[in-house]
Amino acid sequence: MTTLAHFQLLASMLFAVGLFGAVTRRNAIVVLLSIEIMFNAANLSLVAFWRYGPHPEQLSGVVFAIFGITIAAAEAAVGLALVIVIYRYYKSIEVDKMRSLKG
Amino acid sequence: MNPSYIQLLLELLPQIALVVTAFALLAVDFALLRQRDPTPRFRTLGRITVFGLAVAGAMLFFQLGQVQAGGAFVGPLRTVVLDPLTVFFQIVIVVVTIITVFISMAYPFTTHVSEYYAVLIFGALGMNFLIASEELIAIFVSLELLSVCLYILTAFHKGMLRSAEGGLKYFVFGALSSAFMLFGLAWTYGLTGDTTLAGIGQAATELAKHGLHGNGAMLGVALLFTLVGFGFKIAAAPFHQWAPDAYEGSPTPATAFIATGSKIASFFILVKVLFIGFAGAHGSAAWGGFNSGWIAVAATLAAITLVVGNTAAIVQRNVKRLLAYSAIAHAGYILTGLVAANALGAASVFFYIIVYAFTNLGAFGVVAAISARVGGDDFKDFTGIYKRAPGLTFLMLLFILSLAGVPPLGGFFGKFYLFTAALSADPHNLGLFWLVALGIAMSAVSLYYYLVLLKTMYVSDPVAETSAATDRIAAPPFLNFALLFSLAVVLWTGIAPQQLLGWIERFL
Repeated sequence: MTTLAHFQLLASMLFAVGLFGAVTRRNAIVVLLSIEIMFNAANLSLVAFWRYGPHPEQLSGVVFAIFGITIAAAEAAVGLALVIVIYRYYKSIEVDKMRSLKG
Repeated sequence: MNPSYIQLLLELLPQIALVVTAFALLAVDFALLRQRDPTPRFRTLGRITVFGLAVAGAMLFFQLGQVQAGGAFVGPLRTVVLDPLTVFFQIVIVVVTIITVFISMAYPFTTHVSEYYAVLIFGALGMNFLIASEELIAIFVSLELLSVCLYILTAFHKGMLRSAEGGLKYFVFGALSSAFMLFGLAWTYGLTGDTTLAGIGQAATELAKHGLHGNGAMLGVALLFTLVGFGFKIAAAPFHQWAPDAYEGSPTPATAFIATGSKIASFFILVKVLFIGFAGAHGSAAWGGFNSGWIAVAATLAAITLVVGNTAAIVQRNVKRLLAYSAIAHAGYILTGLVAANALGAASVFFYIIVYAFTNLGAFGVVAAISARVGGDDFKDFTGIYKRAPGLTFLMLLFILSLAGVPPLGGFFGKFYLFTAALSADPHNLGLFWLVALGIAMSAVSLYYYLVLLKTMYVSDPVAETSAATDRIAAPPFLNFALLFSLAVVLWTGIAPQQLLGWIERFL
């Protein structure tokens, strides 16, 4: 029997995996990927809360998840565009090579 | 009970006017102006933008009279709540955007003119909805609309490496914080079973009664994640690393918009989320009486932010970077007022963000006007600039003194009200005295770096490589108007502060 706790445990683990990737990886695309995993962990959590919550007939949880997916897509579009701009200058997308701003 | 959608559309006419302006700009630019030089295009399209924003502002002004007389408008599911306070702040946002457009017209930096103005307007639209919403989904969506527009604006200076790099750093930190916030909001929704702030408030009060056990503890985690998300948006330490890079890398008008408009909207919604949504889970930050809750978290953030922002600003040698660290420090002062957690605290925060926004708009306006001519915004470019731009430098002096909190300028009363609110939260024990004392000590530190900047501009002799040019730098008339308007607000809030504070308290 899968319970709410199982889903939330999975969501929290996914979030932790994503966060670990986002702070340790140097490749900008992998960082974006990790952030996507974090977003999807939150969406999974939302849907699970909605399904097991006291009012599954009210759709706010699942609507929230749909908006979350849409926003993650919009952010990915802007993020990849920024990565392309950076690549034109550095011929590389390693985040620790970006050193023109510091202090 | 739900008001009809026709009525919703009528109430949202000012925002619809903004969207229409944005698309009209794109159409005019693509159809008529594509082959012209960027400088006249910046001016022509800027005029259209200002016209559209002014129409939206006039509609909002009319709406302010209506909601004051006829009571607040509440949209379906409280996604849009228009009461006098929200409409007043929407007007402030529109005015801030108009001034940003005036600054942009003096700083033609890109050939994609209409896209730039359109993204600016969509950012203002996100701020408008962010201020008006009292429901988690609407808050999240409008916050993301605002953030995505700001990432694009930061990276808009396509010929400059620093702009792209600042944009990517801003984006990575911002997206990370959005993920934190979404996770926190998901847990808030799951534990309280509601997405409206009022409903969350009731459920959270119920949960917080049982202390840190079971669901109460999980609510604490949700609150912490949400606050991490907001901490990034308002650039509170230790989530501030994006701010200096984004401020320095952005084209200066975009920096002005990020530093002012997004701060107003983010702080406004933060106050709403904490005061309505998490009202029951407040805790305490009194010296020796720390108790888990949002006040304890916010007070800790405030203390770290005050110290980090003010000490890191001392070593900066770039004007925009210095103003970025000063913005971080100011987030610390505002959080100090926030932890008062009463009506006076909210009023002082609202007063301060208005004063702060117009002061910074003025300061960035001067930086844009000067750096458009000298070609940089490092200290060495600004050395001895007094001889070339006496008027602009004098305006900068007033704005910087207001940021430092010197009476009789608006910044002084802003800080005064924030600290008073923090002390009045617990008038018998003065539990927050430690935080206020830290704030006052850090204001003294801030005076040092502000005066170093002023000394550079006024007293120091120009360095050899830049002294060749001796021609005068004067701002174009529309920028002068914008700067003088900002100055008028700073002086007005300094000489008659009780007037603005009275308005805010009446709207609350």
